[in-house]
Amino acid sequence: MRRLESTPDRYDRGINLLSGGRIGSVYERIAELVARPDADVLDIGCGTGGASIACAARGANVVGIDRDAGMLEVAASKSSSVEWAELDATEIEDRFGPESLDAVVSCLAFSEMSQQVQDYTLSIAMSRLRPGGRLAVADEIEPEEPGRRVWYRLRRAPVVALTWLLTQTTTRPVRDLRTPLSELGFTEIASERPWPSFQIITGVKPS
Amino acid sequence: MSSLYDTMLRILPHRAPTGLVAIGAPDRSSPVLVTGNYTLTVRRVKEALEGRNAWLLVADSKGINVWCAAGGGHLTHHDVISAIRTSGVRDQVDHHHLILPQLCATGVERSRIEEATGWTAAWGPASAEDIPAFLERGGHTARQERSVRFPLRNRLEMAAMWIGPLVPILWLVLWPITGAGTAAIGAGAVVLIVLTLYALFPWLPLRVLRGVPVYGILAAGGFGVGAGLLALTGLLNPSALVWLAVACVVGTAIASVDVAGSTPLLASSVNPNDFAVELIPDRCTGTAECVLVCPREVLVMDGHARKVQIVRPRNCILCAACIVQCPTDALRFRFDDGRVVEPDVIRQTRMNLLGKRKTVPTL
Repeated sequence: MRRLESTPDRYDRGINLLSGGRIGSVYERIAELVARPDADVLDIGCGTGGASIACAARGANVVGIDRDAGMLEVAASKSSSVEWAELDATEIEDRFGPESLDAVVSCLAFSEMSQQVQDYTLSIAMSRLRPGGRLAVADEIEPEEPGRRVWYRLRRAPVVALTWLLTQTTTRPVRDLRTPLSELGFTEIASERPWPSFQIITGVKPS
Repeated sequence: MSSLYDTMLRILPHRAPTGLVAIGAPDRSSPVLVTGNYTLTVRRVKEALEGRNAWLLVADSKGINVWCAAGGGHLTHHDVISAIRTSGVRDQVDHHHLILPQLCATGVERSRIEEATGWTAAWGPASAEDIPAFLERGGHTARQERSVRFPLRNRLEMAAMWIGPLVPILWLVLWPITGAGTAAIGAGAVVLIVLTLYALFPWLPLRVLRGVPVYGILAAGGFGVGAGLLALTGLLNPSALVWLAVACVVGTAIASVDVAGSTPLLASSVNPNDFAVELIPDRCTGTAECVLVCPREVLVMDGHARKVQIVRPRNCILCAACIVQCPTDALRFRFDDGRVVEPDVIRQTRMNLLGKRKTVPTL
């Protein structure tokens, strides 16, 4: 059955299709926002490693975690400068101590989590960041203007169906994370939209 | 209504909400049962537990049933760990004990849950309807509860899975070409073929020549009935017959793709099947974990020798649940040509090996 087939080798193609070929620039932007030489960076739901590898290229010490061993296998075949670990977002606490990270990033992973898991992950990220550490979450989001939102849903449906058929990969938009981030105490919350239906949101743990 | 919708379109994922569900009036000592967030599964487990007090911990199986999700890597120990930590179950009960559905054993490693959370886990029965008897026995499965069944009701659900999407599409494609009446008869013939295939499934020789003779007879039977109906309704003409034949052949071809793999009784024919489970007796310490998770009674415990034995190898559907769960790595796959697949590889790829089973390194 198709559902039983592994999809990691097709994941990159699927995500590239869904993002209209723009996902590479998002990985670069995330790295630009958080990665510094020798900074300790955690990439949650690293998948095939796009964001992790971009951060490592800027000299950061990156651990990429994903719950899918097949995804990590593809990631490991691309780069050995990142440490890859099979862990779910809810298992970060088993591996990383409090205030042990300079940055936490996540690209297109929140859209695969339930809201409960998203909230849990954000609070764990807050506790694992060092004071002054930065969080960056990039994901699909519905456009702000109502007209654009309707157009987005209409336009997205056939692309989602086609991508699902070809790659069994899909994404769902996430809610705006500004509110949960400010409730958790993140400061300097900033969001940017590389295109109307995609958001990179950042926050800083207060010193 | 929603049951019908879920059944007809079961080929697509149907997501139920994840998290903790109270059944009856559970208290701090009530059992915690784990299931996946496929709508039909959640509904059936709730039905099975009616009149009892229990906690149902719905893990994220991506809207797919437990067996397919676990085999495909969509329901793993990570999802169960995540459910324990994010559902609030830790605040609701005093014990730290879970009951896992037996059919998740291909993907959910019991030991990894215990390592990460301190929660112990026991294997429940294969079918939800056996849960009450399992609970009354104090949390132990009887041999027959560990064995999967494929009764008529489940077989007809599989038929509905194909009829749901296939028939409307066939009808809509044929309608402009042949007119609505002939299109309806073509679609009806396909319904008949699919229903017959699953109704008679246990008695059909599907292993003879990969089932091709059976599928040929089914398509011809559907065509015959369809042609009769065309004659009765006055729609019979050469063009209608040609399109009826196309509908029967296409319908049979689509519904017969991996019939074996869509049942719990046969190994998928998409995988290469030239290998078998191998037991390494020296490594076996007789924990019998494999016996508890095998859905086909392939393994039994030899009480005298304190070791497990493979007694019904022909029953094996190569799901690898036994290999994944064995705490001493005493089981693995061996190909006919001598190559072996070690447990670590199988735990990473699960049933999902497909092509990879062919390319695993030789020992």
